[in-house]
Amino acid sequence: MTGPAGPSRLLPVDDDLDTGPFFAAARRGELALQHCTACGLLLHVPKAYCHRCGSWETDWRVVPGRGSLLTWTVVTHQVHPAHPVPYTVVLVAVDGCGAHLVGSLPGRPELATGQPMEVWFEHLDHGVVLPNWRPVAPHE
Amino acid sequence: MDGIVRCSHDTVYAHDLAHAIGVPQLTFWSDVGPGGVAPAAMVGQAVAAILSGQAETVVVFRELNGRSGRRYGLADAAGDRVGGAGTYDEFFLPYGLLTPGQVFAMLARRHMAEFGTEPEHLGHIALTCRERANANPAAQMHERTMTMDDYLGSRPIAEPLRLFDFCLETDGACAVVVTSTERARDLRRPPALIRAVAQASIPDPQPGMMYPILMRDSLTELPAAAVARTLWSRAGLGPGDVDVAQLYDCFTITVLLQLEDWGFCAKGEGGPFAASGNLGPGGSLPINTAGGHLSEGYVHGMNHVLEGVRQIRGTSTSQVPGAETCLVATTPLPPGSGLLLRSDG
Ligand SMILES: [Zn+2]
Repeated sequence: MTGPAGPSRLLPVDDDLDTGPFFAAARRGELALQHCTACGLLLHVPKAYCHRCGSWETDWRVVPGRGSLLTWTVVTHQVHPAHPVPYTVVLVAVDGCGAHLVGSLPGRPELATGQPMEVWFEHLDHGVVLPNWRPVAPHE
Repeated sequence: MDGIVRCSHDTVYAHDLAHAIGVPQLTFWSDVGPGGVAPAAMVGQAVAAILSGQAETVVVFRELNGRSGRRYGLADAAGDRVGGAGTYDEFFLPYGLLTPGQVFAMLARRHMAEFGTEPEHLGHIALTCRERANANPAAQMHERTMTMDDYLGSRPIAEPLRLFDFCLETDGACAVVVTSTERARDLRRPPALIRAVAQASIPDPQPGMMYPILMRDSLTELPAAAVARTLWSRAGLGPGDVDVAQLYDCFTITVLLQLEDWGFCAKGEGGPFAASGNLGPGGSLPINTAGGHLSEGYVHGMNHVLEGVRQIRGTSTSQVPGAETCLVATTPLPPGSGLLLRSDG
């Protein structure tokens, strides 16, 4: 996995029966999460059955590409060549839907809990597109 | 001996151990997981087997070569792709979220943001365990003392956690023998009676091994809160009845969260509680009296069960005088289990 430009990023399985639609939406430039068709409950991580109303009918709905920062860690001890330290893993509460999604930033950015975050779509090798998160630029 | 309970992460199977120690015939065996949340539940399986007549005497064991063999906490990302097939790793590993320490670091940061918890608060937990290890000749850190400056000066691993917030890598093995109270009273050593055992998931469990717990609404509560409710109710006892506790300590923050979730202090007050001398000898809640994972060794919580038995028998190297009730809390993530030991009579 190590080429002249350094190790390539860890790629997700993006065609899994249960979770593939998350990555398919990302390839279209959309952030989508699974919901119960009958009662609207967010089902994340994805599942085939709604524990609230008992429905087996689900669909993938586009959710806001905005959220707020719940917590983060600055990783300084390297455990995988694909992720050179330091880097920062963020956990974002997506606006309006209650989902928590993970993102990654290089280095050690200045961050604060609750600050606004926005999704962006990171194009990796082999056509994989990863929804990722970054702070909303101050001027917006 | 006719029964064996094994941790489902162990490399030794029940029949391996039965062969090694010459058990004539097994009538019961059981696998309990996952890893660090298994130990109290493993004892619970032995209790269930004995009470239901499936076995008379059960060995509950855990071994691992965490230093020389399979090292825990490495990224589980050997293939070209990560995730799929019900692991849900695809939502986490591609972002560089790769280890338990990084997950607990995110919980620690959130606790700091919500409640003003400080690194020194975590440091007191690390120091408490180290001091108990200094008294325990069998502990890995027996001869290595630590000051708060040592703690604060240790290198960051996954901020806000640093080296001395992390447990050790250990080659080790532990086992306890569980049998009926009647039979135990007949043996040479005084029994540690099992007052109650409990297992509990978090409410609305998430799948996967660890990372999906970050999907929960609360990032500052462990499954310990649910285990505690069940264990206290079954035991007819509460936090105020505990003389000494062995709290699972994969990381210092794990202990801090459990102090709150088990009801030894209010939610958010684990830091000041830890820093006020409560956890040492003579404190309101002496913990991890053999040194814990942080300084004795990492045997996935089974060493906490052993130390619980020692406290009840009065044989700990940091014995709590007159200890009659010991909590063993193996309640990190994703679910958890707890065990309450009592002296006989
Ligand atoms: Zn529903």
